[in-house]
Amino acid sequence: MELSESVQRGLQSLADQSVFDHGSFQVLVDVSFRSLLSSHGDPTVLGQPEFKQIDQILLKQSHTAAVTFILEAVKQNADQSTISSSLEELTFSAERTEIFYSAYQKHKKDLERLLASIGRGLPHITDASWRLEYHMKNGQVDKVNDPFYLISLNTENEGSSEDINFTCTVEQLQDLVGKLKDAAKTMEKASQM
Amino acid sequence: MLLVLSEEHKEHLSFLPQVDAAVVGEFGRIALEFLRRGASPKVYEGAARKLCVPVEMVQHGVEGLMFLMTESSKHMISEVDFLDSVLVLGFSEELNQMLLQLYLQHHSQIRSILSHLPSSVPAYHNLEWRLDVQLARRSARQQFIPMLTMRVHLTRSDGHSDFNSRILQTDPSTLLHLISTLEAALAAMKTGHARRILRNIK
Repeated sequence: MELSESVQRGLQSLADQSVFDHGSFQVLVDVSFRSLLSSHGDPTVLGQPEFKQIDQILLKQSHTAAVTFILEAVKQNADQSTISSSLEELTFSAERTEIFYSAYQKHKKDLERLLASIGRGLPHITDASWRLEYHMKNGQVDKVNDPFYLISLNTENEGSSEDINFTCTVEQLQDLVGKLKDAAKTMEKASQM
Repeated sequence: MLLVLSEEHKEHLSFLPQVDAAVVGEFGRIALEFLRRGASPKVYEGAARKLCVPVEMVQHGVEGLMFLMTESSKHMISEVDFLDSVLVLGFSEELNQMLLQLYLQHHSQIRSILSHLPSSVPAYHNLEWRLDVQLARRSARQQFIPMLTMRVHLTRSDGHSDFNSRILQTDPSTLLHLISTLEAALAAMKTGHARRILRNIK
């Protein structure tokens, strides 16, 4: 993995037993994953009692470096050997590499989901609701007497949701369902390849 | 049921017996054309010049016909009721028959035009789909995410042939959920409850 000089430096101090002892190393790894997944850049994560003895600048550099390394690894879908060799090159002990890797494995799925949610996408259908109505008459026409459906597709895009509403006749709904079933069949076939 | 024509409406239509049957036929054609595509006042001017009558007279005549056609189509009145309704106008038998033919030939089309007016919600027209697999994106390489991309064509609420299409995506499990939800909707049509209501409201 290609890493910038400052990231390399930050990881080297993280590997350094005289800067991070065993306890604070483990907490920093833990905190780095947490910064990405649950605390979303909350600066107070570095206020742990384990970090009291550590130089605050070094601490921040190492935290930033660890977070960058994690993101880069998830982005590249790095495997164990890539991660281990990168960390060992940066003077990580076998034990520290192992601690880091097990945390990485534990959170990888969630991080992938996080990264996959960044960027533009099409509105994603999450659910549908429907209502069956019987149109009897209106201001313009009497004796219409037609059943019809009101369909609402709930979509989400970049955190905002929108409902797409339309009406359709019974035949049109049959057409719609038929097409979606075709698509589902194709999808099933493709998944068996 | 009989149509109740207002005095004003009767007065507007009273222009019709003063002209030739061919002219009434032409007015009928214009009235239907206007119902289909909207009115254009220029046509009134041209017709008024030819007939040597004021523009308002032609306009009232055509609009009176349009209103007569839309009202009778709206209530879908029977042949007999139509003739009884126009009886009060005191037109000749021939003219009444002409109006009846105009009504009978065009009432279903007029109803379909009218039925487009009140719908404020877009209507389903078509759906196209495509199966995609997302392989990578800037923030994440080596992905494998199957996706169904769809384009839903909706006809615009103001009717006519304007389409509005939306491009949407969904994942395989939501697709299956959508299918079962919409199948439940179709099944609701076949229940005894729905059949009973459809049968009894006529």
